[in-house]
Amino acid sequence: MTATLESGVAAKKKPRKFSPWGVVAWIAAIGFFFPVFWMVLTAFKQEGDAATSPPKLFFTPTLDQFGAVFDQGIGPSMLNSLFATGMSTLLVLLLGVPAAFALSLRPVRKTQDALFFFMSTKMLPIVAAILPLYVIVSNIGLLDNIWALVILYTAMNLPIAVWMMRSFFLEVPGELLEAASLDGASLWRSVREVILPLVSPGIAATALICVIFAWNEFFFAVNLTAVNAQTMPVYLVGFIAGEGQYWAVLSAAATMSALPVILCGWFAQNKLVRGLSFGAIK
Amino acid sequence: MTLTADTEDVVAERVRKIREAKDIGVSRAEGWRRRGPLLPALIFMLVVTQIPFLFTLYYSTLSWNLVRPGSRHFVGLNNYLAVVKDSQFWSVALNTVVLIVGVVIISAALGLLLALLLDRAFPGRGVVRTLLITPFLVTPVAAALIWKTTILDPTNGILNWVLSLMGIGPVDWIGQFPLTMVMVELIWQWTPFMMLLILAGLQSMPRDILEAGRVDGAGAFQLFRELTLPHLRRFIELGVVLGAIYLVNTFDAIYMMTQGGPGIASANLPFYIYQRAFLGFDMGQAAAMGVVVVIFTIAIASFALRLIFKSFTGKEEAA
Amino acid sequence: MASITYKNASCIYEGSDKLAVDSLNLDIKDGEFIVLVGPSGSGKSTALRMLAGLEDIDEGAIEIGGKDMTGVPSKDRDIAMVFQNYALYPNKTVAENMGFALKLRGVPADERRRKVEEAAKILDLTEYLDRKPAKLSGGQRQRVAMGRAIVREPQVFCMDEPLSNLDAKLRVQTRTQIAALQRRLGTTTVYVTHDQVEAMTMGDRVAVLKFGKLQQFASPSELYDRPANAFVAGFIGSPAMNLITVPVTADGVQVGSSPMKLEREQRGLIGDLKEVTVGVRPESLELTTDPDGIEVTVDLVEDLGSEAYVYTHASGGVELVARSNPRTAPKLGDTVRLSRNADAVVHLFHPVSGERLG
Repeated sequence: MTATLESGVAAKKKPRKFSPWGVVAWIAAIGFFFPVFWMVLTAFKQEGDAATSPPKLFFTPTLDQFGAVFDQGIGPSMLNSLFATGMSTLLVLLLGVPAAFALSLRPVRKTQDALFFFMSTKMLPIVAAILPLYVIVSNIGLLDNIWALVILYTAMNLPIAVWMMRSFFLEVPGELLEAASLDGASLWRSVREVILPLVSPGIAATALICVIFAWNEFFFAVNLTAVNAQTMPVYLVGFIAGEGQYWAVLSAAATMSALPVILCGWFAQNKLVRGLSFGAIK
Repeated sequence: MTLTADTEDVVAERVRKIREAKDIGVSRAEGWRRRGPLLPALIFMLVVTQIPFLFTLYYSTLSWNLVRPGSRHFVGLNNYLAVVKDSQFWSVALNTVVLIVGVVIISAALGLLLALLLDRAFPGRGVVRTLLITPFLVTPVAAALIWKTTILDPTNGILNWVLSLMGIGPVDWIGQFPLTMVMVELIWQWTPFMMLLILAGLQSMPRDILEAGRVDGAGAFQLFRELTLPHLRRFIELGVVLGAIYLVNTFDAIYMMTQGGPGIASANLPFYIYQRAFLGFDMGQAAAMGVVVVIFTIAIASFALRLIFKSFTGKEEAA
Repeated sequence: MASITYKNASCIYEGSDKLAVDSLNLDIKDGEFIVLVGPSGSGKSTALRMLAGLEDIDEGAIEIGGKDMTGVPSKDRDIAMVFQNYALYPNKTVAENMGFALKLRGVPADERRRKVEEAAKILDLTEYLDRKPAKLSGGQRQRVAMGRAIVREPQVFCMDEPLSNLDAKLRVQTRTQIAALQRRLGTTTVYVTHDQVEAMTMGDRVAVLKFGKLQQFASPSELYDRPANAFVAGFIGSPAMNLITVPVTADGVQVGSSPMKLEREQRGLIGDLKEVTVGVRPESLELTTDPDGIEVTVDLVEDLGSEAYVYTHASGGVELVARSNPRTAPKLGDTVRLSRNADAVVHLFHPVSGERLG
C-alpha cells in the first residue's frame, strides 16, 4: 500500500506483518523433512558416527559409504529401475493419452462405464492377483525378466493416468475444437495442433506421477524378480540382509535409491502439484 | 411470417422421431472412431488385471501347496470356510481396517492444517512446500528403513534420544507398538499428498465469497466452517478415497519395519496373504483370502466410486 | 457467393425433449447481413450453429449456395465463425491464429503472411501480430477473432454474440466497424445477438425468434412499423412499446377511466372481440392538457438529459410510458393526461394469440 504525499514522493510500503503462521509452517516443514535430511546426512558418516547416542550432527564427512554401495553392484539395479520406470511410463502415455481423449469427448453412457471400469481395477487389492501372476509370469518364462515389471507397472499406473489426463483434456474449452474444425482441421489435426500443446503440461504431470509410483514399487518387484531384473527397492532390501546394523552404508544405499525420484519431484514440483490436484488449480 | 403452433402432442411426436433417427444415425463408423482410441488401453487392462483375478478364483477352490507337488485337487469352498474360521485372518483384517482408517483420517487432518498454513504468503513459502512434499517422493522401503533404524531404534534412534532429554526412558517403539509405528510412518508419507490436494481446493476457492462473509460479520473460524470447509469437502473426499485405495495395498512399510510381527500384531491383509503364499506356499488358502479381500473392497469401493463421480464428473459449481 | 436457405430446419436440445429450433424457414440472399435476435432460450445461437455444422440438423435442411448441407462436416462448409468467447488458440500468436485456416489449406507461407498482414491492417492489429492471446485486451482479442474469420474469405460469416463481452462504449464503436467491414467485403453474414439495438442498427433484415420459432423476418423499419405480433412489438424498440390489454368499446377502447377513440377502419378490425391488446410506442405519446386524453398517475420519471420517460399507470392498473421533454416533465404522483401525437401509430393485436390485427 503506497500513499503519495503532496510532494509526489511515494511513501514507504507498509512493512509486512510478522506472521506467526509462517513460523509454524517452517517448523512443520523442518519436522517433516527431518527424516530425509537425516538419511542423507548419515550416508556421509563413518559407521562409527552413524549409530550413536546422542546422535551426531557434526562429524567428518566421507564418501566411503557410497563407494561401498557401488562396490556392491548398485549399477544393474539402477539400470533396471530406469528401464522399468521409463518404459512403463512411455507405455502408459501411449495407451492412456488416446483413452483419456476419447473419454473426454461428448460423453456417452458407455464412457462412464469405461471410466468406472478403469478406476475399479485400481481398487482391487494387488495381493489377490499376485499368485496367478506369479504362476503365469513364470509359465511364460518372464520370471526375473524386467519386461514383466514393465507390463505390470503400466497396468498399475494406467487408471490414475487416464483419470488425470482426462481431467486435463476436459479443461480445454470445447469452442477451441469447434473453431479448429471450422478452420478446416480434421479431428487428428485439431488434436495435434491445438489440444496437445494445451494439455502437455498436464501430460508431463501425469508422467511424473507414473515415474514416482513405478520407481518406488516394491511388491511386484520383490516377488517376480530375482537377480537379473532386480530394481532399486529390491536391491536395497537385499543390501540390508547383507549389512544388518551398519546404518551409514544403509543410509547411503537408501539415499541412492530414493534420490532420483526426490530430485525429479523437486524440479518438477509445479507439475506434480498440478497433477495431484487434477487440474483443479487453474 | 408467423407459424401456427403445433399442439404439444405433435411436437412430442416429432421429437421422438428425431430421437430415433439420431440413435441409429450416429453411424457405426462414427461410434468406432469415437471409442476407438479407448480400446487399446481398455483391452490391456482387461487382460492384465481380470485374467489373473479369474485364476485367483479358480485357485481358491483348490487345495494346493507348492511344497507338496501333485497334491493339487479341487475342494470347492473349503478354503473359504477355513478363512472364515481363521481367527488370525480376522485379526489381520481388523488391523487392516484400523490402519487404513487411522492413516487416512490423521493424514487428511494434518494435510488440512498444512494446507491452511501454506495458503498464506510468507517468506520462503516455496521452499517450505518443497520440503513438505518430500516424504511423498521417498521410496517407501527406503523410508521405512530409515524410520526403523535411525529414528525408532531403541538404543541409538533419534526419537529416544530426544525423549531422554525430557527424562522419558528408552522405549522399544517397534517392538511395543508395531502397528502404531507403521501407521506413523505411513502418515508421514501420505500427509503431503493430502496437503497438496486440499491446497488445490483452497486455491481454487473464489475469494469474493470470503470477502462477502467478512462484510456480513463472520469471524475467521466461522468463515472456515461455513464457507471454506464445504468447498473443500470434495477435495478431502477425493484424498480420502484415493489414499484408501493405495493404502489397502500397503506392504512395503510392514515388510521393512516389522515383518508383520510380533506374530501378526502388525500384519495387514496383503502381508498376511503374502506370507501364506510365498512363505507358507499355501496357494489355495491364499487365493481364497485374496478373493474375500476383493469382495470387501468392492463393497466399499462402489460406495467410494459413486462419491468421486458425484463430486468430480460434474463441472465446477458456478461462483 | 452464397445464399442461405433454412428449410423447415429443426434441432432438439441435447438430452431433452424440447425443440431448440422449430421449423425455421429463412431465405437469405447473397451478401445480406442478417441478424437473428431473441431472448435467451430462443434458439438463435442453435440456429447459427446448425448453419456452421456445430449442431445437427435434426429435421428439414439448410442450403448454402443451393447445396444441401445435411451431413457435410463443418470443415467442408467454408464458413468462418466469430465466437462469443473468441475461441482463440492460446498457444499460437495472433498471426498464427489468423493464418491457421490458410495453413490447413496448404497456402504457402509468404502468401499467408501477406493475407494476414492485410487483414491486420484493416483491423488495426499490425503491432500485435507476434503476441499471444493471453497478452491482449478483450477488445483486441475480439478483433483477432474477426481477423481470423476475414482472412479466410469464406462464403459465409457466422457471428455468435461477438460484442457481448465488451464494455458498452467499445461495443458501440465495434458495432459500426463490423457493419462497415461487412459492407466492404460483401460476404453473406448471419449475426446472433440478444440486443435489439444491435439488430436494428446492423441488419439488412432481422429474424426475431422466440422459443425456437420464427416470429418475423423483415427489415428493421418494417419490424418497427408493422410488428407481426405482440412479442415482436414489445421486443423491438427501446424503451419497449406500451402493450395494454383493454376492454373494447363502441368506437374504440377503454384505457383506465378514459375512453380512447379509434379510427373506424381500425375499430372494424377488432370485430366482435371483447378485449384487445393495444400497442403504442412511448415516443408516440405526449403529455397534454386536452381533456380527451387518457388520465394517468405518474409513478417514475427517468431523465436522460435529451429526453425524459414518464412511467405512469391508469386506473385499473394499466401501465403506460410516455416520452416527454425533460424540462417540462411532471413529478411523482402528479395526475396528467396522455394523448397520441400527430404521427402516432396504434397497433392492434389479438388479446390471446398476440397476432397482429390488420
